[in-house]
Amino acid sequence: MIALSSRLAAGATLALASLLAIGAASALPGATAQDGAESAPRTSWTVAADRIHTATGRVIENGFVRVENGRIVAMGPGDAGADFHVAAITPGLVEASSGIALGEATVEQVSETTPEVSLEEGLDLFSTRWTVELNGGVTTTLALPLDENVLGGLPVVIKTGGGEPTLDSRMVKARVLVRGAFGDQPSRSNSPFSGTAWGMYHRLPTTRMGVEYEFRRAFYEAIRARNDASYASPGAAVLQQVLAGEVPLMVRASARLDVRTALALKAEFALPKFIVDGAGELLEEEEMVVASGAAFVFAPLTFDGNTGIDGGVLPWNTPARLAERGVTFALSGGSHPNREYRLALQPGHAMRGGLSFEKALEAVTIAPARMLGVADRVGSIEAGKDADLVFWSGTPFEYTSRITGVMVSGELAVDPRAAK
Amino acid sequence: MLGTQSTSRQRALVGRATTFAARRAGALLLSAACFALAPTTALAQAQEQLVIEAGRIVVDPTTEIQDGVIVVEGGRIKAIGKRGEVEVPWEAAVVGGPQFTAFPGFVEAYSSRGMDRPNEGIDVAAFLDVRDSIDPINLYFQDCLRWGITTINVQQGADCVIGGKGRIVKPVGITIDQITVRPGYGLVLSAAPKRGKSRATQAQGMRDAFRDLRTYLEEIVQDARNGGDLARREALAQGRELKGEDAQGRAMTGSAWKVEGLELIPRGAIDEKQAPLLALVEGRTPAFFHCAAPHDVHLALRTARENGFLERTTLVLDNSCWKAADLIKEAGVAVVLTGSLVHVETDPVTGEETETFVPGVFQEKGVAYTLSSQNSSTTSLWYQAARATGLGLTREQALTAVTLTPAKILGLEEHVGSLQVGRLGNVLLMSGDPLATTTWVEHVIVEGAHVYDRSKDPRNKILIEGEDPVDHLSTHD
Repeated sequence: MIALSSRLAAGATLALASLLAIGAASALPGATAQDGAESAPRTSWTVAADRIHTATGRVIENGFVRVENGRIVAMGPGDAGADFHVAAITPGLVEASSGIALGEATVEQVSETTPEVSLEEGLDLFSTRWTVELNGGVTTTLALPLDENVLGGLPVVIKTGGGEPTLDSRMVKARVLVRGAFGDQPSRSNSPFSGTAWGMYHRLPTTRMGVEYEFRRAFYEAIRARNDASYASPGAAVLQQVLAGEVPLMVRASARLDVRTALALKAEFALPKFIVDGAGELLEEEEMVVASGAAFVFAPLTFDGNTGIDGGVLPWNTPARLAERGVTFALSGGSHPNREYRLALQPGHAMRGGLSFEKALEAVTIAPARMLGVADRVGSIEAGKDADLVFWSGTPFEYTSRITGVMVSGELAVDPRAAK
Repeated sequence: MLGTQSTSRQRALVGRATTFAARRAGALLLSAACFALAPTTALAQAQEQLVIEAGRIVVDPTTEIQDGVIVVEGGRIKAIGKRGEVEVPWEAAVVGGPQFTAFPGFVEAYSSRGMDRPNEGIDVAAFLDVRDSIDPINLYFQDCLRWGITTINVQQGADCVIGGKGRIVKPVGITIDQITVRPGYGLVLSAAPKRGKSRATQAQGMRDAFRDLRTYLEEIVQDARNGGDLARREALAQGRELKGEDAQGRAMTGSAWKVEGLELIPRGAIDEKQAPLLALVEGRTPAFFHCAAPHDVHLALRTARENGFLERTTLVLDNSCWKAADLIKEAGVAVVLTGSLVHVETDPVTGEETETFVPGVFQEKGVAYTLSSQNSSTTSLWYQAARATGLGLTREQALTAVTLTPAKILGLEEHVGSLQVGRLGNVLLMSGDPLATTTWVEHVIVEGAHVYDRSKDPRNKILIEGEDPVDHLSTHD
């Protein structure tokens, strides 16, 4: 429980300090700079905890984390004048597959393959769905286009809170990877037998084989474009980067047949950096999965095993088994409408399936951060990284614990000191 | 009702089509058939004994026994205590071991699943009985067993004005008689509008139902007084013979309103559409009253008071009904909390969300409440209890809400909900603390019969251990 004595002492110090600050500010005429400083949220804190899980392999008992101007500056044992105390701290969770579809604006459906279109201008950062994720402990997320296109474009890694709801304030990295999709969704609404015969309903693909065809055509044209300028296009340029391994390709494939297709295409084009998202039926192709060298982002673990994607099923021991085989993976909540399946509870579900605590923690923090190429800024509690922290009422990820506070970029988005 | 017989050996569950994609359904059925031995159908012999050993026995949420043993005989707990202090019959089968924690089977105070459809299209369907629609081999009951829910109150759903009779069942058996614990138990009413109705027409429908009852009773009494024989003749036309108690008349015993002269009518002659409502008004049957919103609580309590069955009413509440908690407290009724543990309200202007922990509200107000497993059949009671503990209940409160309280609501506190001498032998053996994240229900004993072993559960193997159901279909290898 929260240590009241240190809280009161810190609170008193805080009150005094802020009084002094206000007093000083009002003494100066035309104090516009000071007005800004007063209204800007506080981004420097010292937090004490019974246990700090840094996701670097180190667990600090009875320690503190110090944050200054939105960055982590120090951590260690002891409680060095803490502002408040919590039971446990983990890094802010990183959601590798957001599932927040902010409407058709996220995918450009004029063509089946639009790998060059960046999501930067298509995001609605005012949406309260980001705040819901933030309240659930997710501080960094990959914002994806809808999977209506075979190659949908370039997603963006953003913070779910902190600062202003603008891209300048919240973007962590743009154009981090190229998004693609296998399965039913890219072909689902495209039947020429439904709707009118002209317009976008007339486009390919209408079947899974059409999806695979479009995928291959795009890549073969990109290869051809290296030597033949008539095949050059912005899309081809992006895919050449994928072929060269400069940019990862992330494809959604949940059911077994789609996983096979994805991994076979990875081998066909020798794509060096490849991530399978929404992964479900991996154990059925365990050797292929292990040999592929691909990384995987799991669909949410659900109580009845349904991933909700193309009828794919995700057995609960999959993360544990793949961990044994040394496969790189991340857990994901996919912003599921059912809160029991969101990211903060996924490690608990994975542990039920046999995954160790340390691996489960990594799978929602540093592993997705590395996959998205943002591990220099987020994903673990280390000096120099962004101050993204989650505060827990007990052992993190246990069903009997809950998130009492969330800090993003040093701001206390959910305040654990707030009375129950 | 007696439990089912099984050897304490391999026992698999024969399940129906699962929620998996259709292509799996056939595979699963086949694989389950491969695992299954003879389906258990026999009833337990009265002298059947079972000894259950556990490193830790949770007798009830506040009492534990370390390194204990439970002796079950004839389906009931005969002895329970520390090993060495309890006399153990040498010839009995033994199940369990020091690595297990024994726990009373969970009690589901209300469920409208396990039937082919939860409701009929008729507004007032008090003459229906869930006996006719329960499907004992429905996947729902299989999942109940898997998650350790051993007593289930199956009632009709909320899509009605007044629904039919329910019954309390256990998730073991393949016929309705085998699974029944208490038949003809409970009647469902709904204050929330049935599909297609507005609140006004729902309330009107509710009033009409009870007014029709009253009018009917007055008519048959008047007819009897005029020397007529209407009731008896209609009963014969409906194919009911009047024997024994049914041939006797009895004065009406309603506490809110009465029709004088009912003793002139043989009880068995009362129209079968009206008889269940009469039982309700006379306080002879419990009522489960659905409320989807706080304003529904008003209608429910008023209806129950006006017709004299408030004392036998349990409210079945959805998320937002916590706002009527004071009213519920005043009425002194217990509640079943369906819907999610946290009620989220979104401000329409700012989009900000306010969260309320629903069980916490009732705990604070002193209203008796139970948790319930939710829409998905696998969001189980122990999971609800674990999450509730994180959100604000104490461990004892959360465990009470899934064992003792629902047992009390169902009038079964002498039989289920805790592990004491004389109670039914409904025992779970769990792999760890009941609320720990990594704990599994390893064994389930229902009325002294060892009916579930997780290591032999085929669906568990597919769902949790990634076994491919197609593996059992290969004809070459």
